[in-house]
Amino acid sequence: MNSTVVTSPTTDIHAALAQAARPQPSRWAQRLGWGLLLVVSGFALLGPWLISADPDRQDLLNALAPFGGHDWLGTDPYGRSMLARLAHGAQLSFLLALLTTLMAVVPGVLLGIVAAWRGGWLEKALVALADMIMALPGLLLVLLVIAFAPGHFIPLCLGLALALWVEFFRISRARSAVILQQPYIEATRMLGFGPGYILRRLLLPALAPTLLTLASFAMSTAIIGISTLSAISVGVRPPTAELGSMIVELLPYYAEAPALVLLPSLLIFLLVLALQLISGGRKS
Amino acid sequence: MSLSLRIEHLSIRAGLTLLVRDISLTLTAGTPLTLLGESGSGKSLVMHAIMGSLPDGLQAHGQIWLQLPGQPAQELLRLPAAQRQALWGRTLALLPQEPWLALDPTMTVRQQVQEVHQQVRGLSAAQARQQALDNLQNVALHDAVVSQPPVAERYPFQLSGGMCQRVAIAMADAAGGQVLLADEPTKGLDEALRDSVAQQLLREAAGQRLLLTITHDLQLAQQLGGVIGVMRGGELLEVTQAQQLLQQPRHDYSRRLLQADPGRWPVRQPSWTDTGGQLLEGRGLSKYMGGRCLFSGLHLRLQPGQITAITGPSGCGKTTLGNILLGLLPADQGQVIRTSGLTSLQLQKLYQDPPSAFAPHLTLAQGFNDLQRRHGFSDKELAVLLERLGLHPSLLQRLPAAISGGELQRMALARALLLKPRLLLADEATSRLDPVSQQQVMLLLGDLCAEQGLALLLVSHDQALVARMADQVVSLEAHGVTA
Repeated sequence: MNSTVVTSPTTDIHAALAQAARPQPSRWAQRLGWGLLLVVSGFALLGPWLISADPDRQDLLNALAPFGGHDWLGTDPYGRSMLARLAHGAQLSFLLALLTTLMAVVPGVLLGIVAAWRGGWLEKALVALADMIMALPGLLLVLLVIAFAPGHFIPLCLGLALALWVEFFRISRARSAVILQQPYIEATRMLGFGPGYILRRLLLPALAPTLLTLASFAMSTAIIGISTLSAISVGVRPPTAELGSMIVELLPYYAEAPALVLLPSLLIFLLVLALQLISGGRKS
Repeated sequence: MSLSLRIEHLSIRAGLTLLVRDISLTLTAGTPLTLLGESGSGKSLVMHAIMGSLPDGLQAHGQIWLQLPGQPAQELLRLPAAQRQALWGRTLALLPQEPWLALDPTMTVRQQVQEVHQQVRGLSAAQARQQALDNLQNVALHDAVVSQPPVAERYPFQLSGGMCQRVAIAMADAAGGQVLLADEPTKGLDEALRDSVAQQLLREAAGQRLLLTITHDLQLAQQLGGVIGVMRGGELLEVTQAQQLLQQPRHDYSRRLLQADPGRWPVRQPSWTDTGGQLLEGRGLSKYMGGRCLFSGLHLRLQPGQITAITGPSGCGKTTLGNILLGLLPADQGQVIRTSGLTSLQLQKLYQDPPSAFAPHLTLAQGFNDLQRRHGFSDKELAVLLERLGLHPSLLQRLPAAISGGELQRMALARALLLKPRLLLADEATSRLDPVSQQQVMLLLGDLCAEQGLALLLVSHDQALVARMADQVVSLEAHGVTA
C-alpha cells in the first residue's frame, strides 16, 4: 500500500467547524466568578482573624448603629458589631455548607455510578432507597439525626446531606447509564483499560459540569437549610453568628434597618453567584 | 417566472478561513441536483446556507435567489433571520440525516404529519387527520395487509430507517415546501431501503418541486439522475448531467470518486490459502432477541489471514453475531472456542460511527498517550503506523470531532493495531464514509490481513464490497441462515 498519500491538514473544514461550534466560553464570566469566590471566601476565612471586634459582645446603648461609625457596618439590635458577626457567620455557614455538600456529593455520585454500572438488583435496591428518602419530608429526616446529638454541627450536616444526596444519585445514575452505553466505553474496555480508568478519565469528566452546577445549588440549599433549622432552634444556637440565623434574627427589624437583613443575604447571594459563574462557564 | 433557486458566487467563511469558495449553481423544477463529495467537502454548508441555518461564527457571502412562481425573486442571504425562518417548512423543507433521530419518539407518525396540517396550514383536526393519512399513503406508508398496529399508528422506533425517511418526506409534503433539501437521505440504510428512498425522492422531484440532495452515495446519485455537482475541499469541481459525469468524468477527483465505488474496485488477489490453521470457532451458535430467532445452529471457523464477511439485510443480527464471536455478548446456545493463547486483547473492533468510538472530550494524543502508558509501545511504532495509514501526526492534537470520518476510522484502526490484534471485527466500519475513504480503509485492511495474518470479520450490507473483499461469506436472512 504505497499509494497512500499522507494528507496534510491545512485548511480543514472539520477543524474550522469544530472551532466555530464550540460555544465561546464566556471567559469574563468565569473570571468574574473566580474573583468573587476569592473575595467572599477570603472575607469568610481571613475576616474573623483580621477583625478584632468580638462578634458576641453586646452593647445595648449602641444598638442599631448606622454604617460608617466606629463599626463600619453598624451594629445589630444588641449592639454587636455587624462586620464581626458577618465575618464569623460567613466562615461558619460556608464551612458547614461545604461539608454538607461534600457529604451529599461523594456518596450520591459514587452510588449513582455503581447503580448504573452494576444494574440488576443492586440498582433496584438503591433506587428504592432513594425514592423512600424522597418521600420523607427533608426536615423530618434532619430532626431525626439531630436528635442523637443536639447542638452539634456534624449531625446537622449529616442530616442535611441525607436529604441532599438523592439528587446527586439520580442525576449521576441517569447520566452514567447513557454514557456507559456508548461504543467508546466498549472500545476502551477492549483496549485493555479497567474500570478505574473509565471512571477517572471518561465518566467523571463527563459528569463534572452537571455536578458542579448542582453542587453550587446544593450549597445554597444547605445554607438556607441550616438557617431554617436555626430559626426553629435546632440548628445553630444563639449567640453563635451564622448567616441564616442572622437573617432570621434581623428580619423583625426590617422596617428600621433593612440593610441589616440584606447584608447576610447578599453574602449568600454572592457565594452562589460565584459558584454559578464558575460552573456555568464550564458547560460544553 | 417558474420556480427556481439560483446560487451565485456563494462563499462561506469562518473568520479568515475560507470553507466554501465561490459556488454558483441553478436548481430548476424537474431536474434534481445532487452534490457529491466526501465529508468535509463543504456540501452540507451549502445546504445550510440555503436554509439559513449555518452554525454561529460562519458567514455566507454571495447571493442566493429564490424564485417562487408569480412572485418577485427573493435574495435569501439578505433577508432578516425571522423572514428566513418563516420560509422553513412552508417553502424550504429539509429532510434531516437519520430521521429516526429527528422524529418525535412520543407521537405516532400519523399524529406528527397531522400536526403539520393543523399548525402550519391551520386545518381542523378531522381534515388534518384525513390529509395526513393521504400523505402517508402517497409515500407508500400504508398497510398492504392488515397489520397491528397499522403503519400510520406506529411510533418511529417501530419503523425501519427507510420508513422513517418516508415519514419525513410525508411531513415535507404536508407543509407544502416547494424546495426539498435532502441531507444524506440514505445514511445508515441498506440497499433495499436506499432504493425505496431514491424512488420516493424521484417521485417528489417529478412534481413542481426543486430537489437538492447531498450525499456521498454514488448509487443514490446515479438513481436520482438530473445534474450532479462534485465538491471537494470547499470547491465545486464540476457540474454536469448525471449520465455524462458517470460515464466521462472530466475532473481527476471525480474519476477517483467513481473508481472508488466497490462495484468498480479491481479484483483483489486472494492472499489467503486454507492452511488448516484455526483462530476461532463458533459451534452451534443460536441467538434470540425479543422472542425472534436471529440465527440458530450456526457453525463458523475463522482462520489467520482470512477475511470472513457476515452479510444480510438490516436487523438480521449481523452485528450480534460478530459481538458473540468476539465474546462481547453471550450466545443463547452453542459456544465460541478460541485457539489456545488467543487473549481478549488480541480481539479488536472497528465501529460503524467513528466519532462514537472515541471519548469526545479527549484529544487523540491524550487517548494514544493513555494507551501507551497501559501497553508500552514506542513512539516510533506509533509514528510508523500513522504514516502507513496516511495520517498526519499533527491530527493527533485535535479532538475526535475535529477530523473527518475517514481519518477518524483510520485512527481507530491505528489504535487497534497497536495491540497487535489477531482478529479484527469491522462492524459496517466504512458504511458512513465516502467512497474514496471507504476504499482506502478497505485496501489497508486487506493488506494487513495478507501481511500480518490478521483475521478480519467484516460485517456489511454492501454486497459489492463483500464480493470484492471476502474469502468466506456468512449470509444471514431475515429468518434462518445460509452459510
